[in-house]
Amino acid sequence: MSVIQCVDLTKAYGKLKAIDHLTFDIDENKITGLIGRNGSGKTTLLKMISGYLIPTKGELKVFSKKPFNSLEVSANSILIDDTMTFSDSLTLVDILKEMAPFYANWNSGLALGLFDYYSFNPKQAHSNLSKGSKSTFNSILGIASRCPLTIFDEPTIGMDSAVRKDFYRALLKDYLEYPRTIILSSHMLSELEGILEDILLINEGTKRLHLPALELKELAVGLRGNAEVVLSFVEGKEIIYQENFAQGSLYVVIRRGLIQQHIDQIKQSGVEVSPVSTDDLCVYLTSKTKGGIDDVFKRS
Amino acid sequence: MILNVDSMKPIYIQIAEWLEGEILSENIKDEERIYSQYQLAEMFTINPATAAKGLNILADEAIVYKKRGLGMFVSPNAKKFILTKRRSKGLRQMVKELVMEANRLEVSQSELDRMIQQVRKESGQDEL
Repeated sequence: MSVIQCVDLTKAYGKLKAIDHLTFDIDENKITGLIGRNGSGKTTLLKMISGYLIPTKGELKVFSKKPFNSLEVSANSILIDDTMTFSDSLTLVDILKEMAPFYANWNSGLALGLFDYYSFNPKQAHSNLSKGSKSTFNSILGIASRCPLTIFDEPTIGMDSAVRKDFYRALLKDYLEYPRTIILSSHMLSELEGILEDILLINEGTKRLHLPALELKELAVGLRGNAEVVLSFVEGKEIIYQENFAQGSLYVVIRRGLIQQHIDQIKQSGVEVSPVSTDDLCVYLTSKTKGGIDDVFKRS
Repeated sequence: MILNVDSMKPIYIQIAEWLEGEILSENIKDEERIYSQYQLAEMFTINPATAAKGLNILADEAIVYKKRGLGMFVSPNAKKFILTKRRSKGLRQMVKELVMEANRLEVSQSELDRMIQQVRKESGQDEL
């Protein structure tokens, strides 16, 4: 069953299309990673799904309802991001207490357990928290709410690496105990890749890829070696990325499927065949040029 | 065990190989129940779908088999099968790469043989 259905969804800010004819479905009880560069439309998309923004065009259904102004969608979903604000008259513990009436599945024991684990001061105000502590506190709200649709927009901003690891592990453990649909947005795929089932990669408001995380790792290979030899194997095929890193030698990233049957032959010709990290691959798939930052310096 | 996320091996293959290691070292014996996808997900902080794919590799090779409603169990002779498989596939692949590298470095056949014998001697396994 699809929790989110999106057909030709478009959101325009004036002339700029932040989301441009986007079509995808998100299945129930999957953890999906929404990946994209800065300004690719991740936050706009998540805000539409959560009902904060109204789409300009196209169809968006969450739990089969239009999310904007829907009480049902609001009650069954939560969006955690770094712009959440709470009244200064509430202490951190007050905030945890106030969550229960709004979220039917709120797990108070888990919330207080995490709150103690991170050694928060119960009397502190939310607005006085540091950037990292704010992210950490907000992540507790996201996990303990156990919403059927739980969305985290860049949840680990400002967290140190120990807290990041704890966050991903806490989220996964609670997901195993209480499965629900989760979306995590990030531009750092490598650190959360392991807990994802699906990956949705967007660029300039359009979909680049939507596939199981397992398949992304095997989607492409890198070939490095003598430029002429490398080119002879990839000629006429779509090249994802290409880099001349030394005189006469070439590094090329290509879909594995296009050269699979020649891999032994390629290796025998002295070309090095290597996997491409998912982080790098996402960068290549969302860059405007095929050459990267070095192209900028070539002009001079 | 910590998974190597930067490795060229996908995580589900690392899971399958770790489980094979557990069977080889007899931490899990014949006819014993193997970890479920949810246990593996918890142990390694990975998505249960990834863990399931690792288990399915073993099931496809009949190293484990499914008992309806009870989970996956280690097949009899699983250990022997894994040893044979690793010899014929894994080791052969490594030898292939070794020979290719030797060719690139213009190392002669007899020189390569000598190096292998030397390393075996040093590891105390030359009597095997």
